[in-house]
Amino acid sequence: MRSPRFALAIPAWAWLVLFFVVPVGYVIWFSFGYKPGIFGTHANDVLSFDRYVEALSPTFFQTFLNTLWVGLAGTALCLLIAFPVVYWMAVKVSPSKRGLLIALVMIPFWTNFLVRTIGWQVILAPEGWLSTGLNTIGVLDGPLEILYTRTAVLIGVVYNYLPLMILPLFVAFDRVGAPLREASKDLGAGPIATLARVTIPLARPGIIAGVLLVFIPLMGDYITATVLGGAKGNMVGQLVASQFQTAQNWALGSAMAVLLMLVIALSVAIGAVILWILSLPFRSAHRLVLGPES
Amino acid sequence: MTADTPIRILANASASRIIGRELTRRGFLSAAVAVGAVGALAACTPTSTGGSPQASGGPLENKLSIYTWGEYDAPEVMSAFTSELGPQIVIDSFSSNEELISKLVAAKGTSGYDIVVPTGTFIPQMVENGLLTKLNRDLIPNIEHMDSAFLGRDWDPNNDYSICKAWGTTGFVYDKSVITRELKTWNDFLDAAQNEASGKTSVLDDPGDITGIYFWANGIDWDTTDAGNLDAAEEYLVNTLAPHLAAFDSYPGGQSIPQATMTLMQVWNGDARIGILEGGEPDRWQWVLGAPVTEIWMDNWAIAAGAPNPEAAHAFINYVLTPENSLAELDYIGYHTGGTDIEQAANDAGFEMLDLVFFTPEQIATMRTGKVTEAQGRLVDIWNKMKAAAGA
Amino acid sequence: MTTQVTLAAGKSSTPTEPSGTVVLDGVTRRFGETKAVDNLSLRVEAGEFLSLLGPSGCGKTTTLRMLAGFEHPDGGDIRISGTSVLGVPPYKRDVNTVFQAYALFPHMSVAENVAYGLRQKRVPRAEVRVRVAEALELVQMRSFADRKSTQLSGGQQQRIALARALVNKPSVLLLDEPLGALDRQLREEMQLELKLLQSQLGITFVFVTHDQGEALSMSDRIAVMREGRIEQLADADTIYARPDSAYVAAFIGQQNFVVGTLTSSGDAVDTTIGALKAARIDSGLISGDAAQAAIRPEFVRITPAAEPKPTGTQGADGTLIGLAHLGESMQYLVQLDAGQSILSRRPTADAPSVSVGDAVRVSWKPEHVQVFPADGAEVAAGFVRPPKTTHSHN
Repeated sequence: MRSPRFALAIPAWAWLVLFFVVPVGYVIWFSFGYKPGIFGTHANDVLSFDRYVEALSPTFFQTFLNTLWVGLAGTALCLLIAFPVVYWMAVKVSPSKRGLLIALVMIPFWTNFLVRTIGWQVILAPEGWLSTGLNTIGVLDGPLEILYTRTAVLIGVVYNYLPLMILPLFVAFDRVGAPLREASKDLGAGPIATLARVTIPLARPGIIAGVLLVFIPLMGDYITATVLGGAKGNMVGQLVASQFQTAQNWALGSAMAVLLMLVIALSVAIGAVILWILSLPFRSAHRLVLGPES
Repeated sequence: MTADTPIRILANASASRIIGRELTRRGFLSAAVAVGAVGALAACTPTSTGGSPQASGGPLENKLSIYTWGEYDAPEVMSAFTSELGPQIVIDSFSSNEELISKLVAAKGTSGYDIVVPTGTFIPQMVENGLLTKLNRDLIPNIEHMDSAFLGRDWDPNNDYSICKAWGTTGFVYDKSVITRELKTWNDFLDAAQNEASGKTSVLDDPGDITGIYFWANGIDWDTTDAGNLDAAEEYLVNTLAPHLAAFDSYPGGQSIPQATMTLMQVWNGDARIGILEGGEPDRWQWVLGAPVTEIWMDNWAIAAGAPNPEAAHAFINYVLTPENSLAELDYIGYHTGGTDIEQAANDAGFEMLDLVFFTPEQIATMRTGKVTEAQGRLVDIWNKMKAAAGA
Repeated sequence: MTTQVTLAAGKSSTPTEPSGTVVLDGVTRRFGETKAVDNLSLRVEAGEFLSLLGPSGCGKTTTLRMLAGFEHPDGGDIRISGTSVLGVPPYKRDVNTVFQAYALFPHMSVAENVAYGLRQKRVPRAEVRVRVAEALELVQMRSFADRKSTQLSGGQQQRIALARALVNKPSVLLLDEPLGALDRQLREEMQLELKLLQSQLGITFVFVTHDQGEALSMSDRIAVMREGRIEQLADADTIYARPDSAYVAAFIGQQNFVVGTLTSSGDAVDTTIGALKAARIDSGLISGDAAQAAIRPEFVRITPAAEPKPTGTQGADGTLIGLAHLGESMQYLVQLDAGQSILSRRPTADAPSVSVGDAVRVSWKPEHVQVFPADGAEVAAGFVRPPKTTHSHN
């Protein structure tokens, strides 16, 4: 009873330790071990970095480049599509209708992730209904050759991840609120200047959250990419899964998983630095320091 | 197909049913589950469970728990068992052998499951780790209805732990409207994949089946661990074949055949049959059993170590082995159950496309059993390299 | 502290409507079925301090937002400095607004907030520095220039909001209940400063408030609004002393209302406490009309019942049922024998020595009685408090 604040934090800490620290700790621990014999999955009596050497193969790099491409292109596309949608929802739509729109955004999430993705496989197939429909109205002559291409991967990624971008973006835009936008316009800023100087800077935490919420799971997801991209949807997550599942080599799988985590963290860090450097001229243009009275 | 003998899986099989099957049988999603199981397994080392109750033909318990592949048992057989013999059946499903094994290892004999259905190649691993209990064969007299060709396989030569539940094989299907010549062998498959079907070919998403194509085509033992053979396989599959592949798909019967997405597909026989029947253009598609040799895989009835209801478990295995129940199971899942004379019964019942279910003794003689060997890691590596090469 | 700065602006204007003049001409704004602003016409002179006063929902804020450009009229014309602003977006209007919740940009420093409008006009950097510093000195916030705007108190934020608007030298400044969020003492200080600033700068101020005290203390003229229309437009003295209607009378200050009918002589109202003579009678009333007599509490005297009736007064007998000390004055609530309640307020220095339960007499001079038509909406059993006012000042 003496420290209720500590007591209140126990569930959060327990959750973090049980579902994050411990599993990740195991994965890191396994990654220094090896696979003992055919039926063993891992052993740690001899520790080494050998699994990392094994994991850093050209296959890993090539697959990783493909994964990074899907991750970056998918995240950029989600941001590009979500931005005007959210702007419209948070700024133009009357507050009473926003709840309904948010619900509509969420509805696809009620369906199983894989079923949703396979649904797109049916739609995009060369003899599927989209192809047939486009041929009927004369937009297309011949089968739609989109399934098992990177275009199909991006369609699936946008469909599956867009809500993850829209929700934090909407909250951020909504919190900026009408009064600040009105103040900006009142002071002579047009819609674009208001967006650039008020709405986006203030919504930045939400934009960053949305980008991370899409980018990080997308880097680990290989279902969307494989179902719709076929061979063109080769992802690192699959490499990791293949080691755990099929090769039964948890040591190597763990090393790959740790590498994947490191590379994702590195990508995010590099992205943050690039953004920061790019924003420098903009920042200095708008900075004003009067200093003490003269 | 006649009205009074509806073949559910074949007729009116809805898309959702096929998707359900994809989700569950021979594991598409199993990666997620396997990774999730890491934490559970981590703290456990497999221990032998010696003190599990043995069945002795006593009265049946009033419950039975089955842990099996999804959508893999005929519901009417289940309900008939309960109404005839009493035990209430509870079914739980897994989507990969690894998931099954992880769960049994983690529970150390307290999983509560009675019957489990592992694939043959995994049985030695499970026996070695004490995950299965020996069958009391006195309680399973109906094994006499099984074709001896499907008993006594390598992984369990005396059927001490397992009895065939269903089996299948691997071949390929091609679109005759695109490939006009006749394909007969794995060599033909490889040739067509690089010519008429380039960019429109899929292979099974399984390292054993993918590397198998090369070994089977070139007369190399599928279980080879010889470095020279493996190097040659990698060189050919990664550099020559992979650039022509469009997908790694274990279930082309679900979408690729009905939607005509692919021209040439490596496929398991039951899945090929579903796909061709579902597509509504049976004349367009040609099924070819892999030749000169190909694989046979077999899922098996087995009893988990520590099974709480061993009497009921034995009674159930015995029950499903009767010819009529075996036929009902075949009807439901579309794979051969290993029963004697079941081919005649299926013909009499009017089931369609039975040449994709039943094979001649000569054909069966060309089917090889897979084995988990030291080369498994290398095969996975080749598989991953193929994917990287195909995706580049 | 204040610095001499000329913020007067020479914009396009006409001789009849010089720069800084605001004209609303038959302006209507509907929200669905309801008319928030109903055929409203108003002329605000250049350099005038005009308040729009009324309870929430009377249309005052909508009117202001139409001047700022955030709302657009469904009918009528709005001219600022002689030019119609119909269809002109807010960022192209020569007006600036001080918002109710200040709406300072939280991601900018105080100086950057103030510089925002100048930056939009591409004012040279050197000039921006000078003008921002001047504007901050004007509101005595120069030393806070490089603080984060979120680190300031409410009153300080208020000053920054004012500086941010004034630095642009608008011809009209719009203020939307800018003092509403401040505590009472700060609010009274700011009222004085605002008025000083306005007369010093000579900019037209249009000030929206629901607070009569604020309106009375600062405005050159007050427009009391009701249901989208102007009920009365006049200077503070006139509004207070000679309200045009019971609504205005009740809204400005407090009133005791006594209902009755206009006598045949036409100079008094027949009520349950007798015929009340009045100095001002609504010109629309004729003998026999239902009417109400209004007397402000500060004109009601209280004397012990035993004392003689003050000369030249009229009144009634009752019992004192409530007594409150308000600092400078005392407030009394008397239940008349006829049933009605009357509120009285006397300077503390001049307070009668009575206590609750005493028999007392209330009295007033006829010159303090005004008579309005008996509009049902405003008539309560006794006196009517100002409708929907949240503060009581008097």
